[in-house]
Amino acid sequence: MKRILPFIIILVVLGAALGSSWYLTRTIPASPTLGSQSPSAKGSPVSQGSPAQQQQPIVQGVPGADPPHVLGPATAPVRLEEFGDFECPPCGLFHPILEQMHAEFGNQLQITFREFPLVPTHQHALAAASAAEAAGMQGKFWEMHDLLYEHQNDWKKEFDVRPIFEGYAKQIGLDVERYKRDMNGDLVAQRIFQDGKRGHSLGVKGTPTVFINGREVPFENLPAEKLRVVIQSELRSGAR
Amino acid sequence: MKKLYAVAALLSLFGLADALYLTIEHVTGQSVRCTIISGCSEVLSSPYAVVAGIPLAVIGAATYFTVFSLAILALFGYRIAGTLLTPLVIAMFCVSLWLIYLQAFVIREFCQYCLLSAAITFALLVVMVIVPRYKLR
Repeated sequence: MKRILPFIIILVVLGAALGSSWYLTRTIPASPTLGSQSPSAKGSPVSQGSPAQQQQPIVQGVPGADPPHVLGPATAPVRLEEFGDFECPPCGLFHPILEQMHAEFGNQLQITFREFPLVPTHQHALAAASAAEAAGMQGKFWEMHDLLYEHQNDWKKEFDVRPIFEGYAKQIGLDVERYKRDMNGDLVAQRIFQDGKRGHSLGVKGTPTVFINGREVPFENLPAEKLRVVIQSELRSGAR
Repeated sequence: MKKLYAVAALLSLFGLADALYLTIEHVTGQSVRCTIISGCSEVLSSPYAVVAGIPLAVIGAATYFTVFSLAILALFGYRIAGTLLTPLVIAMFCVSLWLIYLQAFVIREFCQYCLLSAAITFALLVVMVIVPRYKLR
């Protein structure tokens, strides 16, 4: 018995490792890379009225920063709320997808951006969120939002990002002195805090996290092809 | 020496669990999302996370399982297993140093689970290489 006991132990551990991996791989939904559709994702249908989306519970949460940063009319039948972090690479990949959706759906889609800087995972996330909010104080949130995402790779590895962000502020025509004051001001900090509070109340754990009409969109449905189907499905259900 | 093999087996089980977690993250694509607790998305979605088409986490899990098997066999008196264990642990330590270098200077992001794996490998090096040397003196 003593001779075969080590082999039994090894086999038990092997079985447990393989079994648990198999179980967890099955229960966690596969997430395709944003921006480019993985081969497995291409074959997986979402088009059947996105049942996974309809099964998500509608969540309310506490209010975020007021007024929120919004694109599109308040009367739009589909309301999309994104919790994003300007330093997060998948958020950067999601940015053009959202632009595409905005262009395609126009007045039928309202997009809200909520700050969710992942501190301390991303060292400059808070500074970037502050820069966007400070730009928002002068009515140019979306311009700064776009620049931060489009140039994410230019600033995320830098030691000091403030001069870069000030350059963006100049570029979009902000009063830079006011921008610098606002960036360190209480109002900006409060807005980021309020958005974070809302995110936590909705159970946001990572970025990007997207809600459509109060339902969380599973991460695997964020590539353009799938998100479009989710929005179309919401439009159909709203028309019924 | 038997106690050391038992400790090595236990450490490799922790390493196996860590590597399996990273494997599942990689396979399911969860690693592409940024989260509050880990900066693994940058590391696990980097080209260094895959070697010859095989996720590094899978190679790590297989290696920890090999260490566990050898440690258990050595514990039960299979001498050849103990002999094989030392070079394997040294090789793992060297690979860990390389991966830490990649995280620090190339990717410039740290993944906590990868660092945990490196710490476990260092502990294995202490148990299997450094402690026996002092004991033999």
